[in-house]
Amino acid sequence: MTKSFPIIVELEVPQKAEEILSFTKTVIAKINQHKSLNSEQQGRIKMILIELVTNSIKHGNEGVSQIRLVIDQPSLTIQKSEKGLHIKFSSSSQQIPFKEIDQRLKISFSEQNRHHIQTLDTYKFKFLNPYLEGLTIEHMPEHFGFYIITMASDSFIYQYDPETKENSFLVHLNL
Amino acid sequence: MKIRKQQIDEVLAIIIEEKEANLSKSEQFKELTLQEINNGHRKLIISFVNVDYLDSSFLGALVAILKSLLPLDGKLVLFGMNEDILNLFQITRLDKIFVLKMSLEEALKEF
Repeated sequence: MTKSFPIIVELEVPQKAEEILSFTKTVIAKINQHKSLNSEQQGRIKMILIELVTNSIKHGNEGVSQIRLVIDQPSLTIQKSEKGLHIKFSSSSQQIPFKEIDQRLKISFSEQNRHHIQTLDTYKFKFLNPYLEGLTIEHMPEHFGFYIITMASDSFIYQYDPETKENSFLVHLNL
Repeated sequence: MKIRKQQIDEVLAIIIEEKEANLSKSEQFKELTLQEINNGHRKLIISFVNVDYLDSSFLGALVAILKSLLPLDGKLVLFGMNEDILNLFQITRLDKIFVLKMSLEEALKEF
C-alpha cells in the first residue's frame, strides 16, 4: 500500500518527568511506523522531545500542551503548542512584539543564558547557533534546553498568536 | 535522588542509581554534590552507568558543580555514559569542557 504524505500525528504532552522517557519511545515508534529512522536520527528526535516536554513541565504552563508531528518526505516537523502568555526575555533584551523584522538579536532568559535569534515576524523568531562566540566554562550557561533543541534540529522557530494566546515551538528536521 | 558514594583513595566516586537524570532530580543532585565539595572533596568522579537519559536540567547541575570545583583546583571526571548521553555532550559541546571516560578504571587514571 502506498503511503500518503504528510502524515499527521497528535499527542498530549506528559505532565510528569517520570513519563518523559516512555513518551519519547512512543513518539519514535509512531514515526518509525511511517518512516524508518536510523539511530542518529532517533537520538536527535529523542533529545528534542525530552527538552520540549521538560520545558512544559518546568514552566508549568496552564492547560495541556500538545505535540503535533508532521511526517513528510523527506522531513519531520515537531510542533509543541500551549496556551498562555508569550515568552518574555530578561529586562536587558528587546521584547516581543518585535519592532523590526529579519533582524539578528542577542537575547537572554537569565544572566547566563544568552541566545542568538533572528526575528521573522512581530511574534515570531528563529533560534540561531548559540555557539557563535565560542565556549568557555566561565560563560557556560546552566540552562541548556533551547540550545539542545537548536543544535539537534535543522530549524527551531518560536511563534505566538496574540488572538488565540497560543505559543508554538516548531522544530524541523531534514530526514 | 538515589546515589551511592565510594571513596577510592583521595577520589570520591558518586554513582547515580537512577535511570532518569532529569529535572525532578537535578536540583537535589547538585545540592548533594556541592555539599561534598563543601566537606572538602576536590577529586570527584560521577558514574552514569545506571542512567538511561539525561536532560538539560541535569546538564546544568553538572555545569554548576564543575564551576564550583575548578576555582578550588578540583577535578571532575564523568564516566559510563551511554550513546545518547555522549551525543548530548557532543551536541552541546560540553564534551570539550568535561572529562568523559568510558570506565571507572579510565576515570581514576585522570587523577
